[in-house]
Amino acid sequence: MSSSLAAIPSAGEEAGSGASGLLVGMEQIGKIYPNGTVAVQNVNLRVGEGEFLCFVGPSGCGKSTIFNMIAGLTGHTSGRLSVLGTTPKEARKMNEIAFVFQEHTLLPWSKLIDNVTMPLTLRGVPKKERIREGERVLELVGLKDYLKVLPRQLSGGMKMRVSIARALISRPKLLLMDEPFGALDEITRQSLQDELLNIWRQDRKMTVLFITHNVFEAAFLSTRVVVMTPRPGKIADILEIPTPFPRSDDYRSSPEFGRHVHAVSETLKH
Amino acid sequence: MEKLVASVNVLPEQESGASPSVPAAASVPDGRMGRKNASSSGSLSRKIVSLAVPPLVVFVLFVALWEIVIRMSGVQPYLFPKPSDIVTAASENWHNLLVSVRTTIAEAVLGFALSVVLGVAFAVLLALSKTVERSVYPYAIILQTIPIVAVAPIIVIWFGAGMNAIVIIAFLIAFFPILSNTLIGLNSTEMNMKNLFYLYNATKWQTIWRLRIPAALPYILAGMKISCSLSVVGAIVGEYIAGIGGLQGGLGYAITVASTRLQTAYLFACGLTAAVMGIVFFLLINALSNRLLRSWHDSAINS
Repeated sequence: MSSSLAAIPSAGEEAGSGASGLLVGMEQIGKIYPNGTVAVQNVNLRVGEGEFLCFVGPSGCGKSTIFNMIAGLTGHTSGRLSVLGTTPKEARKMNEIAFVFQEHTLLPWSKLIDNVTMPLTLRGVPKKERIREGERVLELVGLKDYLKVLPRQLSGGMKMRVSIARALISRPKLLLMDEPFGALDEITRQSLQDELLNIWRQDRKMTVLFITHNVFEAAFLSTRVVVMTPRPGKIADILEIPTPFPRSDDYRSSPEFGRHVHAVSETLKH
Repeated sequence: MEKLVASVNVLPEQESGASPSVPAAASVPDGRMGRKNASSSGSLSRKIVSLAVPPLVVFVLFVALWEIVIRMSGVQPYLFPKPSDIVTAASENWHNLLVSVRTTIAEAVLGFALSVVLGVAFAVLLALSKTVERSVYPYAIILQTIPIVAVAPIIVIWFGAGMNAIVIIAFLIAFFPILSNTLIGLNSTEMNMKNLFYLYNATKWQTIWRLRIPAALPYILAGMKISCSLSVVGAIVGEYIAGIGGLQGGLGYAITVASTRLQTAYLFACGLTAAVMGIVFFLLINALSNRLLRSWHDSAINS
């Protein structure tokens, strides 16, 4: 675990953004369920501004638990956790965090524009501004011609695009994605990966935390990969993926990519 | 010519399907559209015919058999009327029948409307707090198990015979299916959706209004489908007990009067009218349900 602390980020980026650039800080975080199950243990992690962090590991390694703790859906039982410089509950109220789940979680009775603007509606943003922002994010994911369409008329990949658009509408500082592409076919998955990276690169200040089972996905997307092992869930290692962006299909077939995938897989086996 | 088309087409099996429509499409596209519409509406009417004819045949056979058997056996109409007796009785008393139907419709609709409004409102109250649900819902169930006929006289004592008491009895019978269905609907909102609303800092009220009630709509409408027929039953039962005569008596009142006077044929006419009323009421609610859910809920999409 001290090795995981040492593996913290590219010093260059950290130094520039300073202490305020710390978005998520976890110190010796542990979570024990009331029935005695240890969900996560001794997790140390510091996430800075503009990072793209993938969490990889088998089921039951505590990836989702860490996410739920950051989102404030569940508490931790030991250690210190700060999100956006405050507690997870307070951080959520700042409207700077957005979420994407594996299921698209769109309201089936609402048109896309209403689905996408839902976070703003809940905050009481005036309609005119809502529509403007809704059109902006739907254009961002290539669905601006589908404003008035209901979710059921879309394919799985398009629904996921809408779900991402909804997350982006409040221009979040922190985007939490829990296996968003897990249910998609490989081709759709790759094109969504490309789009997600493009969107993330346009907004250098957005930090993405991304859960996946898929080692290839992690090696393609991340600036750093957090490899986790189960029973009890803890961080095995944090690997840097220094390959510069933009990353294209050439990167997918490069020996460098292969090496990263190999390194992540090897760490997983330990 | 055929050979040529086949060689141009990559898929040979398209050949037979495509070649007849090619000349039509090329020469007059409008004509082709018209033909397509005509054939689709033709298949629709054919579908209606195929759906309606078998039950109609059964109906006609049944009525004919009834008429013939009673006519042959010589049973008196006051014991068992023939279909022709029922039609005669209905047409002779059509004015009274109309008044009765109107009264019963008013009572049933009022009772039903009350049950929808209060049923949904009460379910929302129960869904807002688990504590309230746990402490109050058992009594709602117990209330449901008390036979309405047993409490009806109390209602008459409190509200007096007539419209008020009858509407309340219709309401009491129709209330519970709406309450329990709505409550199940409100409680079966997807966990992920609820989490999402929570994470986006939705208030309890916003979650109810924007998520849980719309998500419960299929359940609410299912409850309404059960309750609408029940409210007709409730209105007629109410009229048995609390019906008042004069010119305003409903179907239930007319039935009690007809039975004491041994006007069996008219009694049948009233009973059948009540049945038709229940069916029409159900079909209306069913149509409303399909209309509201058609665009997004699986239950209504293919119907």
